[in-house]
Amino acid sequence: MTQRTHANRRHPVAQMYAEEFKAGQIDRREFLARTTALGLTAAAAYTLGGLGAPAQAAGHAQRGGTIRMQSEVRAHKDPRTYDWTQMAYVTHGVIEYLIEYNSDGTFRGMLLEGWEANEDATQFTLKVRQGIKWNNGDDFTAEDVARNIERWCDKAVEGNSMAARMASLVDEATSKARDGAIQVVDSHTVLLTASQPDITLIPGMADYPAAIVHSSYDPTADLSTLVGTGPMKISSNEVGVKAVIEKSGHEWWGDAALEGGGWFIDTLEIIDYGQDPAAWVAAAEAEEVDVFYETVGDFIDIMDGLGWQNSNIATGSTIVIRPNQLAEDGDGNKIYGDKRVRQALAMAVNNDVCLELGYASRGVGADNCHVGPVHPEHDASVGRLPYDPAKAKALMDEAGMGDFEHEVQSIDDDWRKNTTAAVVAQLNDAGIKARHTILPGSTFWNDWTKYAFSSTNWNHRPLGTQVLALAYKSGEAWNEFGFANEEFDTLLAQANSIADADARREVMAKMQAILIDEGVTIQPYWRSLYRHSAPSIVGAEMHIAYLPQAYKWSVAG
Amino acid sequence: MGRFILRRTGVLILTALCLTFIVFLLTNLYPNLEKLAKSEGNFRMADHEVATFLSNNGYRSALDPDFLAKVRSGQATDEEIEAGINTGFDARIFRNYGEWLGIVPGYVIEGTDGTTRARCATPGMDIADAPSFCGILQGYWGWSTVFKDEAGSIIGTRLALTGKLMFWVMLLMVPSALIIGVLAGMREGSATDRSLSTVSITTTATPEYVSGVLFIAVFASSAVGLKWFKGTATSAMDNATFENFFLPVLTIALYGMGYIARMTRASMAEVMTAHYVRTARLKGVSFRNIVLKHALRNALIAPFTVIMLQFPWLLNGVVIVETLFNYKGFGWVLVQAAGNNDIELLMGVSVVSVFVVLVTQLISDIGYVYLNPRISVT
Repeated sequence: MTQRTHANRRHPVAQMYAEEFKAGQIDRREFLARTTALGLTAAAAYTLGGLGAPAQAAGHAQRGGTIRMQSEVRAHKDPRTYDWTQMAYVTHGVIEYLIEYNSDGTFRGMLLEGWEANEDATQFTLKVRQGIKWNNGDDFTAEDVARNIERWCDKAVEGNSMAARMASLVDEATSKARDGAIQVVDSHTVLLTASQPDITLIPGMADYPAAIVHSSYDPTADLSTLVGTGPMKISSNEVGVKAVIEKSGHEWWGDAALEGGGWFIDTLEIIDYGQDPAAWVAAAEAEEVDVFYETVGDFIDIMDGLGWQNSNIATGSTIVIRPNQLAEDGDGNKIYGDKRVRQALAMAVNNDVCLELGYASRGVGADNCHVGPVHPEHDASVGRLPYDPAKAKALMDEAGMGDFEHEVQSIDDDWRKNTTAAVVAQLNDAGIKARHTILPGSTFWNDWTKYAFSSTNWNHRPLGTQVLALAYKSGEAWNEFGFANEEFDTLLAQANSIADADARREVMAKMQAILIDEGVTIQPYWRSLYRHSAPSIVGAEMHIAYLPQAYKWSVAG
Repeated sequence: MGRFILRRTGVLILTALCLTFIVFLLTNLYPNLEKLAKSEGNFRMADHEVATFLSNNGYRSALDPDFLAKVRSGQATDEEIEAGINTGFDARIFRNYGEWLGIVPGYVIEGTDGTTRARCATPGMDIADAPSFCGILQGYWGWSTVFKDEAGSIIGTRLALTGKLMFWVMLLMVPSALIIGVLAGMREGSATDRSLSTVSITTTATPEYVSGVLFIAVFASSAVGLKWFKGTATSAMDNATFENFFLPVLTIALYGMGYIARMTRASMAEVMTAHYVRTARLKGVSFRNIVLKHALRNALIAPFTVIMLQFPWLLNGVVIVETLFNYKGFGWVLVQAAGNNDIELLMGVSVVSVFVVLVTQLISDIGYVYLNPRISVT
């Protein structure tokens, strides 16, 4: 998880300063400077000193300055057809988002003040934040929101990936938004009616292609004239070279509406240093950049060595090393049909060892259920089967598989191969015979769902139910586990109609327990993403889904 | 002399025509166009969609409408589709080349999707306002598909940046090469000669991609810890300082320096054994005066040609050095254009390269005449 300052922990000296301040021995400015230097947040310092909080609570971040970020600079295109998050970094200071997805798995209303779902998650009422203006002076209203959602639903547009996210609002026959799916109730309320329970609609609106554009938007127009609700303007976007985003003078609604405000910096420069991380390091050493887009592999250690701040976040990207329950041996017997065999495999493997050997400890351990702390509905109280090699061997013998040699397939790469090797080694250590077969990438994916026992990598998705629906539901195309469980399917359908994460957690706990008890898979760890920033930069944290949030960044004075 | 220049200009134009046509032919090979279509359109396009995209955008001849209707209705088999799409030679390439030159009117095609596209209408321009001819002759260099900008302005900006790099390279390389060459050549076989020759052979035998990496590692990274210079020249594009610009300049300069120094040395050594130098020495002229007044001018004739020929070589070297130091000049544009099959940008780059090569040769020929009165070009 991202490191945070402990706002509640109060330095003892701060209390002393507060008394001196109240006694008139030091002045207000000095008091604030000293206490915040001790690690108190501005808000806490104001409270401690008995001061009224400032109208705009922007105390913790200094305004002004320029941040230079290393990132690819790509050509602009219609946001709904964005296929690189880097494109959104250039525009996110101008065209903004309805909802923000944060690294702790929560969603926060931005241009929307809030939203409500009905009982079975088929109707969503979007409350548009009032008082927001476009930078050309127009009011931002429910009409704008409805028009943008209609744009997203247009499947006929080449490369419009938002249409898939809005699938439950789209009419298959016309490839456009279904009649009545999007209704403007009043000037600040929009009602969405989905064709089926769909809790992924809201997360879909927080993704990077979901930027809200003005009715006059023209993808081919000069980017410096882009109309949006944000306080920035794009002064230049030179593909492959550099993009410059500057304050436009338009007042930002977020300063009043969001706690702490935002857009502290005056200028964000995005400089393209090509694909080679060695060039990024050279740029960092030359003090030409302040923030990386992402730090990868061995360069994480190099950048740590340079004294840059390391921001890392465990994601929902992971690897599963799973038996396929439908796989048959030469005699037509299902090798992994017996639950005890699968449990034995999971119990023989220490997940932390897989993380250390397979991914250089760049992640956090997982509990073999493919739902984790990053997912809002994850129930942390449901843990894995205990690591117990002796009992694993006993279970395997009991199931009559004591002499069977397991063949584990993996792709020929770096981390997936190493993680699989760690599993195989631990199985052998536990006395369960296993061997590792490495397949080249060109052939591995042909049959990836059908191997008897193999490893697969899975990408991050905001909700826990999303990947369960893709990979664990009976009969799904990507169900590589051969897992078919009626109770699980029923629970999944139930969870998918509960929009509230806390209420959904009760159902999720049961699903997690089923996956673990059935020994469906070994899922050893969640991978972390890394970003480095120069010591003078505040708040440039890595985002779990690479989403652009430069409004949180500032330069320390 | 006038006729000579005229003749050389004729050769220049002819060479440029041949070379650009070859580049045009290669970039318009069907697999390259298919790649372009998929990166411009989308990566999941079927074969017939690629073909219609290419004909709608004027790259290839239009498909037979009956065939297209049949494919779209799903009646055509895979073999029929394969046979119906011409992936080989298309005579349209000659017309396209003519359009690029500006001697054939630019296409105006009403696409199968109902949109009309014109070569001469840049994005955002009304088709009715577009001129009928738009080629290199009209000063229009085309549209870059990678950078979404006019190829002419991209080449202009990037060439200026490379010009800046070249200027400093020349300023460092030429004087130091000449000094090393003259010092080594005036006493052939001496210890000075041997040591300077070793240095020049070493520098010229070390390619830029080796010396550049070494320089970055030694002088710019915290691995060695010297950190005298910057290991990237990106900021030098706007604001070149000694700190951020010296390493790329040195990397290119060293490579050419050894070569010129060797040439100068050979030429100097030859002049020093000439009869008139021996005579001057017998008459008691000081060594210093022999070198400076009698030998130097004659010894510089050969290096002059070599220096001129260095310009095309430098264009070669900047591709590596600009990529290595992230200096976004002409070499970088060449890499980007070639990597993305950006036809019109690549054509523009070729024109400029041909021009630089032939013009420097012309200058070296003319200069040679002035330096050496015994040679006549007419």
